[in-house]
Amino acid sequence: MLIGIDVGGTFTDGVLFDGQAVVTSVKQPTDQQNLKTTLLKVLDDLLTASAGAKIHRIVFSTTLVTNLLATDSGDKTALLLLPGPGLPLDTYRLFNDTFFLKGSVDFRGRELEAIDKAEVEKAVDAIKVRGIKKIAVVGKFSNRNSSQEQEVRKIIMKRDPQMEVAIGSETAGQLNFLRRIVTTYYSVMTQSTWEDFASEIEKALAERGIQTQVDILKADGGTMPLQISRSKPCETVFTGPAASTMGGKALTMNPKNSVVLDIGGTTVDISLLIGGHPLYASKGATIQGHYTHINAFSVRSIPMGGDSPISIDQGNINVLSRRRGAAACFGGDYPTVTDVFNQKYQLGIGVALQSSQKLAELIKGTGIDMETLCRAVEDTVFNRIQEAIQEMFMEWENEPAYRVWEVVHGRKFDVEELIGIGAASAAIVPGLAGRMQVECRIPKYAAVANALGACVARPTLALQVHIDTQNKVFAIDQDGLSGSIPAGRSFQMKDAKELAQHHLVEIAKSRGMEQYAGEAEFYLEEQFNVIRGWDTVGKIFDVGVQISPGFIEEYQGVSR
Amino acid sequence: MKPTGLIFFPAFDWAISPTHPEREERLLYTRDQIFEEGIMDLPQIREYKPRMAERKDIARVHFCVPDVDAQITEAHLVSAGSSLVIADAVMKGEVKNGFALVRPPGHHAMTVAHGNRGFCNINNEAIMVEYLRKKYGLRKIAIVDTDVHHGDGTQEMFWHDPDILFISFHQDGRTLYPGTGFIEELGGPLAYGSTINIPLPPRTTDMGIHYVLDNLVLPILDEFKPELVVNSAGQDNHYSDPLANMCFSAQGYAILNSKLAPDIAVLEGGYSVETALPYVNMGIIMAMAGIDYSNLREPDYSPTRFKESSQNMQYIEKLVATQLANFRQREEVIARNRLEHKKMYTYYKSIFYDTDGIHEEQSTQLRMCEHCAGYRVIESSAQHPRWGLNRVYCLSVPSYGCPDCQAEAQKLYEDMTGSRNKYNYVYLQDRVKDVYKSLESALSLETVL
Repeated sequence: MLIGIDVGGTFTDGVLFDGQAVVTSVKQPTDQQNLKTTLLKVLDDLLTASAGAKIHRIVFSTTLVTNLLATDSGDKTALLLLPGPGLPLDTYRLFNDTFFLKGSVDFRGRELEAIDKAEVEKAVDAIKVRGIKKIAVVGKFSNRNSSQEQEVRKIIMKRDPQMEVAIGSETAGQLNFLRRIVTTYYSVMTQSTWEDFASEIEKALAERGIQTQVDILKADGGTMPLQISRSKPCETVFTGPAASTMGGKALTMNPKNSVVLDIGGTTVDISLLIGGHPLYASKGATIQGHYTHINAFSVRSIPMGGDSPISIDQGNINVLSRRRGAAACFGGDYPTVTDVFNQKYQLGIGVALQSSQKLAELIKGTGIDMETLCRAVEDTVFNRIQEAIQEMFMEWENEPAYRVWEVVHGRKFDVEELIGIGAASAAIVPGLAGRMQVECRIPKYAAVANALGACVARPTLALQVHIDTQNKVFAIDQDGLSGSIPAGRSFQMKDAKELAQHHLVEIAKSRGMEQYAGEAEFYLEEQFNVIRGWDTVGKIFDVGVQISPGFIEEYQGVSR
Repeated sequence: MKPTGLIFFPAFDWAISPTHPEREERLLYTRDQIFEEGIMDLPQIREYKPRMAERKDIARVHFCVPDVDAQITEAHLVSAGSSLVIADAVMKGEVKNGFALVRPPGHHAMTVAHGNRGFCNINNEAIMVEYLRKKYGLRKIAIVDTDVHHGDGTQEMFWHDPDILFISFHQDGRTLYPGTGFIEELGGPLAYGSTINIPLPPRTTDMGIHYVLDNLVLPILDEFKPELVVNSAGQDNHYSDPLANMCFSAQGYAILNSKLAPDIAVLEGGYSVETALPYVNMGIIMAMAGIDYSNLREPDYSPTRFKESSQNMQYIEKLVATQLANFRQREEVIARNRLEHKKMYTYYKSIFYDTDGIHEEQSTQLRMCEHCAGYRVIESSAQHPRWGLNRVYCLSVPSYGCPDCQAEAQKLYEDMTGSRNKYNYVYLQDRVKDVYKSLESALSLETVL
């Protein structure tokens, strides 16, 4: 048996899955003040339903870190930056308590300016005076040479062993100093709250006698072990949409160009599956308006859902965004989007008569007839969703390209089907698919697709290795790994790929996910000759390899 | 405030040859620098996706022998097309200005294109300028070529056009490829003074170049009143460039772009891939976007490292005074030329294609038109190392050409194609109608773009 739980903003969904069918699903309102209690309540309900059957795996997706960041309520954190020459320093002053230090390296990892020990110590003292106990140290190009960041960490620890320090090269090793700053800062800021949460969960599971693998869903639609997540709290942001998208993918399992529409009470979340693969946000997860190095799905949210109330104001028919309660057919006081579709297509949702009655009350004395009202609301809903879908296509098709091949071959997204999940999708999505003249899927279990998505998602891992054969060094964008390459023989793309693959396997082993290492694919293979004068003096390779989002081995689709 | 448009197109899968300066590695460290800085995440920058130029965009300015496809690779179409994307973004008002940071470059490519010269096959700026005129109805445009090598291709393309001001400052042609760009080169008889060359002595520094900018380039632009300014932005005046001998810095380039305030910049040469390009490119982007660049410098830069000699400064001051005078008397000279020359003005020249080893002989006849820049007849023969001898006959009607020129050129094309002739190919480039014809004589096969 497998358990998946998605702690969402309004509701928490959980499923117990036997490998072929959902045995039980649970829905509970989320207590935002105490996510752990809600999570354990859903877990207990599922455990009860499992009737003692062995649980092989539990996967959680939670809004804990997302909420911490949205409310800016993490631990107070100072930033020590080594920006070197380039953009003005103010560009990097994104947060309070930012200090700039001497020291810089260039794109090939050569030191340009040394760090100043006394300056670091002075900064540590100033941070201490401000009552801050956590420091993020981030250097420009520290992903090419992390020695200055490490040296600064040593100086801090010596000056004040109580300080908790994280460095950029170990947190976010991809190119982009701005995003590295943001990612490292947010990781440090949320780490202790997340660790406490992880410990509480572990304790609660131990109390229940559960000794099974516990994984956490990541923003990229993959999972990581709870233990590993302790040092990577930021990867747990925005997992709600990731769970839904993976759920949509899990329930359809086809390689089409699909739009996943997760339509709940108050929002429509849209994501794209291109040939069955989820589309990622090209600039990473955006947190509080800042781009990050966190790999996240590209999701567009519209503040409109099945519970959005309908109003008529001076003859204008409006779809409002603020929820005033459930749809009339479920006993609500105001007619909503769901009531309109219920009326128009005679869907028989809830007490259909209540939909008709409330809508009739609404148009009374306005001179608007029922048919006009329904058509106007439907048009508004469809237009907003279609516009958002169109914008997503355009953005994807117009993403920058850096190679001739990419420009020549272009990108074109032709929608083949809409996948509707979430409570209100059955009312809205079929009509929209009809208008767009594409296929429509409202899969079985669409209402708990998010929890199912979390439940069957497999671990993911991506790494990129940068190799400089002239300087005989390599650096990996995960965990600050680096090393030297053997001298005395010519290093070819084959060797570069082997090196990347080797490290992927090693990291996969350390995370208990080696069974998926065989699924790794190379997504980047670049090599450049380093020419000085007219001679080749070395090569630079950039090789990327990843275990992309997918499903655990035992999941073959929902068969019952 | 509107953002600055940027296309970064490093063509990581295109090179002239593996060890050639124009190779995949050229913009690698620039990529590292601008990606690591995170400048494209800033609201001051809007990044655009490249596109391919149409063959017609190229035929509008070039006579490609035998046809457009023979002279280009897909990389050239993307590089030229990227300039057009930036041009569109500027003209539509989506951005306040834009930089096409693209390769391959183009400023040595001339009207008749038999092959690659100076690493260039087709001229990105010329293609963009004529596209802007055709699509948006612009007429007066200034191109300031800040590459260390004389922009002989761009100069040749607009030699007879009084509405295109071409200013090039570069290392003196007696000491550097392509060996042209002297002060006497001032434009054709009907476009005198709209070509201005400033050949600078080797080792000229920021100070010397800024003197030229402040005292010649900016005043001339002020008087010419172009609707749009283009910077043909080579980066090889840099002190570390391996192919030239100048002493310009990244700060110098940034200040230059602040002062010049081009609407559009298009990357040209610059082969100090590791020690100059990352910093110079950052400097240009920052200057165009109005970002403070006082913290930008090369690792080995010091403000006191290069000093302009007083001897050099005297030379430059004299040069500036001469060229300012030449520019200011352009209308008188053109009027005199009209009286002196007869119906057609004829001249001959030889062109060598260094990259491809082609020798071309050309004669040009210009109609001394009273109403427009005049149509041109170019007869060209070139000995190509692989394709042998090609003789071509080219007719070009300028943008804003008059009906008489258009009709005469059309008639010449018909006469030539209606009978046996000694040319392998005959071309008609009618920019007014925006129609581009070519005829392969042996097969009587006409192509129209």
